[in-house]
Amino acid sequence: MLRRLVWVGFALSVGGELLLAATDALLPWWHRAPAFHAVYGVVGCVLIVVVSKALGKVWLQRPEGRDD
Amino acid sequence: MTEFLHPAGVYLVGAALVGIAPGRLRVPLLLLIPAGALALGVALPDGHRLSGHFLGEEISVLRVDRLSFVFGLVFLMMGGLGTVFALHVKERGPHVTAFAYVGAALGVVFAGDLLTLFVFWELMAVASTLLILQRRTKRALAAGFRYLLVHAFGGASLLAGILLQWTAGEGLAFDAMALTGSTALILLGFAINAAIPPLHAWLTDAYPEATVTGSVFLSAFTTKAAVYVLARGFPGVELLVWAGAVMALYGVVFAVLENDIRRLLAYHIVSQVGYMVCGVGLGTGLAISGAAAHAFSHILYKGLLFMSTGAVLHVTGRSKLTELGGLWRTMPVTLALYTVGAFSISGVPLFNGFVSKSLVVAAAEGEHRAAVEWMLLLASVGTFLHTGLKLPVFTFFAEDRGIRGREPGWNMLLAMGLAAFLCIGIGVAPGALYALLPFPVDYRPYTARHVLTTLQLLLGTGVAFMLLVRHLGGEPTVTLDTDWVYRQGGRLVVGLAEAWAGGSARMLAGLTRERDRLSALIAAAGRRPPLPVGYWLLISLGLLSALILIIVL
Repeated sequence: MLRRLVWVGFALSVGGELLLAATDALLPWWHRAPAFHAVYGVVGCVLIVVVSKALGKVWLQRPEGRDD
Repeated sequence: MTEFLHPAGVYLVGAALVGIAPGRLRVPLLLLIPAGALALGVALPDGHRLSGHFLGEEISVLRVDRLSFVFGLVFLMMGGLGTVFALHVKERGPHVTAFAYVGAALGVVFAGDLLTLFVFWELMAVASTLLILQRRTKRALAAGFRYLLVHAFGGASLLAGILLQWTAGEGLAFDAMALTGSTALILLGFAINAAIPPLHAWLTDAYPEATVTGSVFLSAFTTKAAVYVLARGFPGVELLVWAGAVMALYGVVFAVLENDIRRLLAYHIVSQVGYMVCGVGLGTGLAISGAAAHAFSHILYKGLLFMSTGAVLHVTGRSKLTELGGLWRTMPVTLALYTVGAFSISGVPLFNGFVSKSLVVAAAEGEHRAAVEWMLLLASVGTFLHTGLKLPVFTFFAEDRGIRGREPGWNMLLAMGLAAFLCIGIGVAPGALYALLPFPVDYRPYTARHVLTTLQLLLGTGVAFMLLVRHLGGEPTVTLDTDWVYRQGGRLVVGLAEAWAGGSARMLAGLTRERDRLSALIAAAGRRPPLPVGYWLLISLGLLSALILIIVL
């Protein structure tokens, strides 16, 4: 149920922005590109998780009780 | 009469009163002192000063202007909320320490000169250390002493910078400073308290080890007092723009790996203070006001988050994601209040983070700092990922581990409720906060585009979380951070000292044996009595000193 709500909300926020039809040329391109923030949210989240996990596994994580 | 009173003084005198008053006066005093200080603070007129002369310099223990007022006001509000949250604590020590800490932070914010600033800065360091040590666990003691050492270093740097400034004839007034050799030392002292990486690890090391009530106070004051002094002393310093943007991301990257819920939140203090430091570095009116507004919001929602996770620890005795889960059944009110804090820090529309964080992002956009804006937007994604999704999902939902929690006491719920009310109130009606800011703000957060793009960012994060959730649970690990350097460095120093002490002891023993042998020979020859022990000790120490001198030179 909650998952479905997230997907519906996600679609509505993208659709709503498309209806606004950005014409303000003063805005930078990423504010005018449709659904930019939606893509940035998904890709950014995946990027943070992948980079963090990689850093953790390769370098930073230690078993509890060890700090060397 | 009130023009001679200082809100910091109310808290410091209050700390003394709480320390000596009979037990039956504890609760009345704990309620009256923050209320009185808040009433006094609200009534402080703009431009008011309490000044005198010392060493030929003007000393201002109280300077009220728009910048100090907005920080002072939220400090006073949080002092009250934290005290209500801690009202059930019967020991005097935690209350005395907390009041001294709040008083010191207020002293920093209202200081009009560098000498007053330094005195309160150090008092803040000592009081906050005690809040950590008062948990009395082995880990808290170790973290507290590391915390004290780092802050002693920061304080020494600050004092050195102040003295160099003073001896160079620059005076002691605390205003905007050009970056020079001596002011760089002052900046270093400020940067340590602002937890700018790589100088941040004291925070994530120590805050999660403090008492449940102590960490609520800690989350509010030291870093935000540092943001204030940066805004006062170093607005527009380019280095801070990048330091802030990097720290906004640094905190969210490390939070992915974190298993302890309070340490996860501590990493998000680093991240959120990054927005403020970035705003200070941008230096425009909108950016400085954004930094102040975000500090105001942050103190309220971060206090709320530390209260609700502290409530979980208080009730269950657990703070690790790998040991928590399924608490929504027994702690629904705590979950609801936590969610308000989580939505606020994530910048969900109608919550205070939305109306304050966007000021800094808008300031970066206004200055055509695309890279900085993108970094801050990415940090928003990470913030919602951890505090809005990961932490509540794995603490209150996910696997039911059979923990039978309960809601915390009325005072804890009241403090959380008041903080939540303020988070929502400011989010719904941001005009009241904007009117307090140091520079006029002509910004409308509630435009259709801003709301929709923010929802896209957050819901996009939600979509990615749903896809990755199997990989995001807690792991029974610890994460190395920059405190590794002084943890290992400290062990090295101790090891060397022990080796040196061992060598010295062996040498002393050898010398003593030699003395005894010589004395015996001399006595046998009948020429002189054995030399006194003190004499030989003196020779031994002389030899040791010579040895040290040779090594040093």
